[in-house]
Amino acid sequence: MFNIIKSDLYRLFRGKAIYIVTAVIIFLSVISIVTLSPGHVGLSTSSSNLSLENAELLAKISTVNSLKEFRDVIKSIGTFALDKEVIGQNVNLYYVFIVVVVIVLTVDFSNKSIKNTLASAISRKKYYFSKLLLVLGISTFFVLLNNYFTYFLNITVNGKEFASSFMEITKLTIYQIPLIYGIISLLICFAFSFMKTSTFNTLSIPFIMVFQLIASGIITLFRLKADIFYNYEIQYALCNLANNPTNSYILKCAILGIIYVIVFNFIGYNLFKKAEIK
Amino acid sequence: MKDIILKTSNLTKKYKDFVALDSVNISVAKGDIYGLIGRNGAGKTTLMKVITTLTNKTDGVFSLFGKTDENLTETKRRVGSLIENPAFFASLTAYQNLKYYSIQKGIVDASKIDEILKLVKLEDARNKKFKNFSLGMKQRLGIAFAILDNPDFIVLDEPINGLDPIGISDLRETFKKLNEEKNITILISSHILSELYAVANKFCIIEKGRIVKELTKEELDSECSKCIVIKTDDTKKTTIILEKELNTTNYKVIDDTEIRLYDYLEHTDKVNKALAKNDINIMGLYETGITLEDYFKSVIKEVE
Repeated sequence: MFNIIKSDLYRLFRGKAIYIVTAVIIFLSVISIVTLSPGHVGLSTSSSNLSLENAELLAKISTVNSLKEFRDVIKSIGTFALDKEVIGQNVNLYYVFIVVVVIVLTVDFSNKSIKNTLASAISRKKYYFSKLLLVLGISTFFVLLNNYFTYFLNITVNGKEFASSFMEITKLTIYQIPLIYGIISLLICFAFSFMKTSTFNTLSIPFIMVFQLIASGIITLFRLKADIFYNYEIQYALCNLANNPTNSYILKCAILGIIYVIVFNFIGYNLFKKAEIK
Repeated sequence: MKDIILKTSNLTKKYKDFVALDSVNISVAKGDIYGLIGRNGAGKTTLMKVITTLTNKTDGVFSLFGKTDENLTETKRRVGSLIENPAFFASLTAYQNLKYYSIQKGIVDASKIDEILKLVKLEDARNKKFKNFSLGMKQRLGIAFAILDNPDFIVLDEPINGLDPIGISDLRETFKKLNEEKNITILISSHILSELYAVANKFCIIEKGRIVKELTKEELDSECSKCIVIKTDDTKKTTIILEKELNTTNYKVIDDTEIRLYDYLEHTDKVNKALAKNDINIMGLYETGITLEDYFKSVIKEVE
């Protein structure tokens, strides 16, 4: 298992993808810090002062002419922990996780090099779990890079009044990890189920937004009581976990993440075990 | 008796209603270069995929080095393979691709990679990216991968496909070298019998998932070479006459009713006279001899 991971790392560090993803994460983090605004992909989940639903803020922003003026407007609403806001939007990393799955796993399916690995003394079980561990490992690295790079750069650029403590950031990171592993397991499950990069991309890229959109639509249309959705849907949950969650909420999210990990990997592994390698 | 490297017994693979392999029984002995011949879609690749566990069998059993399919994981270390087209990482060089797999296989000695690249004549393309390789170079890198872990048995699926005559001849040399110098047993497939004839010493013709014929090179030579076929009900007496009257031992008794004579090819009348003079009941006497391709076609036709 260790040899598969080692060989994949050898390959990844000779490609460009991993460096590009690192650069993108750093770039997005810099943008968030310089503009004092966490970037966001998908439907709004923010509950902070920075929400675009704040009409007064929007009106002020529409009149600014420079980055300095923009920063002054944001600062005028008072101090807040920008690093926490960024961590609250960690669902953005979903697209990074897709790239990680593609470069670690589905590349083997698209160029058919998986045949070389499985025809030698490597069992499907070893292959599956090596890839899972590597995807989780690299994704964890990117989560840590995103959170801590943002934290340190934010303190340097914006000062302590816009930052949380190191311990707080560490705690929030740990709270989110089970759910993040759950969503990565879903992506791994997609990849092993279809064993085709194009199908994987078609399904996984819009998945998180489409799922939220459809669910929100149904809730609105049928006027359903949707506490569970707003508490435990992945985007809302990651955001909620960064905003002073209760112990019981943290525990429930962790259990949900563990259930995702077990269920999606169970499905993924069993489908892969029986799959025909083309 | 030679050790058996691969043995299949009633190996069957079905895709829904389509039978890709139908009770296949073959055995490959140590030191063999075993040629698997069949048309496109005959079941060659499926058989190789089952053996290399890339696909699951539906029925039957197979053993590699005496281990059955349930206990294969460690035995597979002794098997190298190239199934269908050579598949590697396009942006890595020949060396990097082999290095990737040597790390994966736990091969510590990196100098082995250069040794293998030299063996398959890719030393000049060591630092060239796989995406810039010609088909022949890709095939050679595939073979380099197959022998990377010092295997005792390699499975090569149509490695000669699409190569030019020089490329074919180079590969042929490589196969012979691996077989003779490194004592590697080879299972190799092709849809062109004449190509396999130049390297293999045992042949198996597969059609519609079934083994139609399994024969040695000597048997194939005998099936294809030019000769006089004598059909008679007394082969014993006929052989005595061939030796005493016609002074030849260059014949082969095929069965109770057939003898193949490899002399007197231009003088069938002399053979006929000698046999008739000695009251041999001749049921048939004719010249035969076909090309490898014609032989292949005739065997396939029998199945159809």
